[in-house]
Amino acid sequence: MNGPAVLARRLAKSYGDRVAVDGIDFEVPAGICFGFLGPNGAGKTTTMKMIYGLARVGGGELRVLGMDARRERREIKSRIGVVSQETNLDGDLTVRENLMQQASYYGIDPHAVRPRVSELLDFALIADRSDDRVQALSGGMKRRLMVARSLVNEPELIVLDEPTTGLDPQARLAVWRSLERLKRRGVTLLLTTHYMEEASRLCDRLLIMDEGRIVTEGAPPALIRRHVGREALELELGGDCDASALLETIAARADGHELHDGALTLFADDAEELLGAIDHDRFPTDSAIVRRATLEDVFLRLTGRSLREGE
Amino acid sequence: MSYEPGYAGLGERLGPRDLIPSAGHAAAVWLRNAKVFSKLWKGALLPTFLDPFFYLLALGFGLGTYIAHGINGIPYKEFVAPGLIASAAMWSSAFETTYNVYFRMNELRLYDNVLSTPVEPQDLVAGDIAWSSSRATVYGVVVLIVVAAVGLVSSPWAILIPPFVLLGGMCFSVIGYTFTSLVPKIDLYSYFFTLGITPMFLFSGIFFPFNQLPGWVEVVAWLTPLYHLVEITRGLATGPDAVSILIHTAWLAVVTAILFPIPVRALRARLVP
Repeated sequence: MNGPAVLARRLAKSYGDRVAVDGIDFEVPAGICFGFLGPNGAGKTTTMKMIYGLARVGGGELRVLGMDARRERREIKSRIGVVSQETNLDGDLTVRENLMQQASYYGIDPHAVRPRVSELLDFALIADRSDDRVQALSGGMKRRLMVARSLVNEPELIVLDEPTTGLDPQARLAVWRSLERLKRRGVTLLLTTHYMEEASRLCDRLLIMDEGRIVTEGAPPALIRRHVGREALELELGGDCDASALLETIAARADGHELHDGALTLFADDAEELLGAIDHDRFPTDSAIVRRATLEDVFLRLTGRSLREGE
Repeated sequence: MSYEPGYAGLGERLGPRDLIPSAGHAAAVWLRNAKVFSKLWKGALLPTFLDPFFYLLALGFGLGTYIAHGINGIPYKEFVAPGLIASAAMWSSAFETTYNVYFRMNELRLYDNVLSTPVEPQDLVAGDIAWSSSRATVYGVVVLIVVAAVGLVSSPWAILIPPFVLLGGMCFSVIGYTFTSLVPKIDLYSYFFTLGITPMFLFSGIFFPFNQLPGWVEVVAWLTPLYHLVEITRGLATGPDAVSILIHTAWLAVVTAILFPIPVRALRARLVP
């Protein structure tokens, strides 16, 4: 396909008085894994829903696989796959029947799709549960079946809204592996997540949203370098340590810092050197850890540490 | 009163592109419901089969014994029996398009998945209504077989009853779907049954005719879909009058067509905000 898989220009959406997406621009190149990060209520899910046709475009322009999301909903939906945040499998049907039924929603001939359904059951590692009712599956199996279901129509683009939320580490890993296999096949993946590890592992590019706007965008390593530097120094400040005085002596040598409840994180290309520069007699610390800077540092730095409720 | 999540009222006016269903996609929705029914039908069919049977026993054979001359020249049992075919279709449609649609939409969230495939709201509503009226026809035919077996059908025209039950089922279903798509809370469903379905069951001419009652009673009955389906089934079971059947059929078809856009609009506003 030529051109980006998704193209948004001044894309906006409000629900009543509440602005969910506030005029954002982004482009998802075809064939990569593109991540949307952001706290609850940032507008990620609303953006995904506009892409897969479960929310109408409120303002601006949205093109999916080159088609206009306002006017060509049916055509767009026939060429993309969706893994929604909520698990909405059909509990009255078996595992295999869920996939067969999904094929019929796409108008695919049931006889022609049979081999593909078997292949998808293997792909999702649930072939041995094919004839069980979906209700009997574990959470991880259900999510893998959700991924398999999104592939029934051989989509060019798959939208995954928090595909691994609520899964245990093993189940999460199984979903990641299946997404990595899809990526190797050249399918464009668009995912939202709360897990920085997931984003760093899977995404070639990502953007961070907050309060309906895009805060930053880029490849994960580039984002880390741009916003926090290579390394982080985490200091647990002692009870009588004057944090602002410490920062006065040292902030200029760091690429940035975060102070939160007596825990000071400083970012720098060489955190060891920064640690050496601290006057430990004047500024006692309970602990000092040098580590690599992560996407989580970028995320917290750009979206703050306060709790967000609901979305 | 707290509303269901996503409750959005009637929604905006839609053009033909968003109102006319695609047959293939509606068929896929029908197929899903039929598939699930095929697994559960034994448990689901029995009560609906027993229900009219008890009414027939109590009223047709019980009360009917005291109505020596029958009604309008028809023995009372034979008068009541065809109406029970129509009411079975009504009860089936009413449950299917209220509780069952509600659970698929709001509890199981199945419609979110369906609408993220090429299926659009008008296909979903059409498929669900087609299914609900198919189910109503199954129920109606079961009752037809029962009343025919006990000798309460005197006209061979009764063989034509099923397609009319299908049409009546569509009309009941579109009414139930309209209610479900507009009602903000499941708690209000009891009103639909207590103030709508039950009175309709009692006062649509199944158990007594209107010719001895004040004229306005028949006018009110004329406004209900059940009355029209009862007139059709009774006509066919006892010897039909073609003109009257045509009028009742037209009533059911026109009301169904007029109401159809309402649940499409409301469902779309609710699920694709």
